[in-house]
Amino acid sequence: MEITFWGVRGSYPVPGPQTVRYGGQTSCVEVRSSEGGCLVVDAGTGLRALGQKLAREGGGAPGRYHILLSHVHWDHIQGLPFFEPAYIPGTTISVYALLTAADELQQVIGGITRHEFFPVPLEAAPAHFQYHEVEPGVRMTLGEFMVLPIALNHPFGAVGYRIDCDGTSVAYVSDTAPFTDVLHKQHFLRGLETLSEDDRRTLDQIRADLVKALSRCDTVIYDTHFLPDEYARFPHYGHSTPDQALEICVEAGVRRLVLYHHAPGHGDDLMDKIAKEYAEKGEALGIEVVTSFEGMAMVIGGAP
Amino acid sequence: MKVRFWGVRGAFAMSGREFLRYGGNTPCVELVTDDGQRLAIDLGTGATELAKSLMGTELGKGKGELHVLLSHTHLDHIQGLPFFTPFFLEGNHISIHGVDPAGTSLEATLQNQLAPHYSPLGGLENLGAHVSVETFQPGHRLVLGPFKISTAPVPHATMWTTSFRIEADRKVVTFLSDVEYPDPLAPDPAAVALAMGADLLIHDAMHPDEEYDLRRGWGHSPVSAAITVAEAAMVKRLALFHHSPDATDDQIDRVVALAQARTKIPLFAAAEGAYLDV
Repeated sequence: MEITFWGVRGSYPVPGPQTVRYGGQTSCVEVRSSEGGCLVVDAGTGLRALGQKLAREGGGAPGRYHILLSHVHWDHIQGLPFFEPAYIPGTTISVYALLTAADELQQVIGGITRHEFFPVPLEAAPAHFQYHEVEPGVRMTLGEFMVLPIALNHPFGAVGYRIDCDGTSVAYVSDTAPFTDVLHKQHFLRGLETLSEDDRRTLDQIRADLVKALSRCDTVIYDTHFLPDEYARFPHYGHSTPDQALEICVEAGVRRLVLYHHAPGHGDDLMDKIAKEYAEKGEALGIEVVTSFEGMAMVIGGAP
Repeated sequence: MKVRFWGVRGAFAMSGREFLRYGGNTPCVELVTDDGQRLAIDLGTGATELAKSLMGTELGKGKGELHVLLSHTHLDHIQGLPFFTPFFLEGNHISIHGVDPAGTSLEATLQNQLAPHYSPLGGLENLGAHVSVETFQPGHRLVLGPFKISTAPVPHATMWTTSFRIEADRKVVTFLSDVEYPDPLAPDPAAVALAMGADLLIHDAMHPDEEYDLRRGWGHSPVSAAITVAEAAMVKRLALFHHSPDATDDQIDRVVALAQARTKIPLFAAAEGAYLDV
């Protein structure tokens, strides 16, 4: 397998001189099997450039695409209306997501192109969209890929995915808070809320299931939006720090951790510092730590 | 009056080296009167940068007031709203002015943008500031503090957007973005009236003329349409605006050079950056 990062930023796209090297587009990762099979994880603004590449490769011929969504916050779906293959007749695009509310996925995901928001509704796009609900813990086979959805700890819910293929594995764990604080709630959070015993048990279970799902995984892409001092101020936002990612990945026996979903305010120079600091921390813990940047390609499973 | 462009890019925010000089943020424009009163137009991603600058004003202390005009609610004109920090400070009073989209209300549209599926904010009621959404009929006049504003609906593919003529300090700025006239080379009477004699006309010029035929019907103007309105309205200066996401800095330079050779109206391509005297 090989993966390519098309968007590594969280929250919103950030143009400008501070993001030239690490990139300004939001969440989107391309996963390729050695046979050329393709999975897309998240449809943030990075999806636009990926779609241009896929349409070019396909030479305008209809294609079959699978897009796994972690959740449907704007920074993870905003690229969908700009995905060039959606405008190629005969193309089928299957979108996989967690049903986090009573509404149908089609209504929620298609709703981003209501006429108030976008000139062309996705339903009117020439490609055929299919929507599939995923369930944490229930495996799916998508072409050559075995995909396991994993429950995460984010307001209104999110899922990660472990993808096994070519005898190796990569996992996408974004967006998620650590498993100590109140979250995973279905209402607006002004700040931290007191955990009930039930909440604690739920969070413990989510954490245990995550560690188990990531067990011996080759490469894990993890939401490391915050530095520790930022996390302390915004623990209810639903994101983690690199230290919290390290804790989970070391416990799961992961070979390599990729820092991802960078805060919009983290400019290139700060990202360099974060990359260096956590590469060293990882080395001391026996795990490779890589900081993702837009355009970064990575072979999964080490050297062939 | 001064004007500052915080976002000039249409449709899609672009990051990277090729977009540094004109900027990659989606539309957001700030107007400031000589005595420091402000008006914002549209809340694309440029609004996240405007927000940082406003944190140094009363809005950063929870004691500020701000009026925001929305030309319409396509995502590139509102995607900065959930990250506009003055909204999060209790005590701020921010009013958003626009026209109801067809078949729904402006307030319902913004609520839908912040709905729990799409945003952890959940809804306008969870913003700390006092936020009011105030709608008007297209064509109505507004008075917002020192700003006297005439409005007009203009065609934008399948819908209408609102354009603005804003007077303050005895200067006039006209904002005409996201517009495609039925005949781009015939001066549209409503647009010309709104821009008549303006000190600065900010006009949609998303497509270089030679690319327009491929993009006809998408709701945006070729550069020549902006020049046609500017000449018919005898404006003092024209800012080409809402640049295509694919237009690199060098390409925009070429578009500007070609446009300047075609008209005597002083013109430039809007760029993120400094305050400009109107």
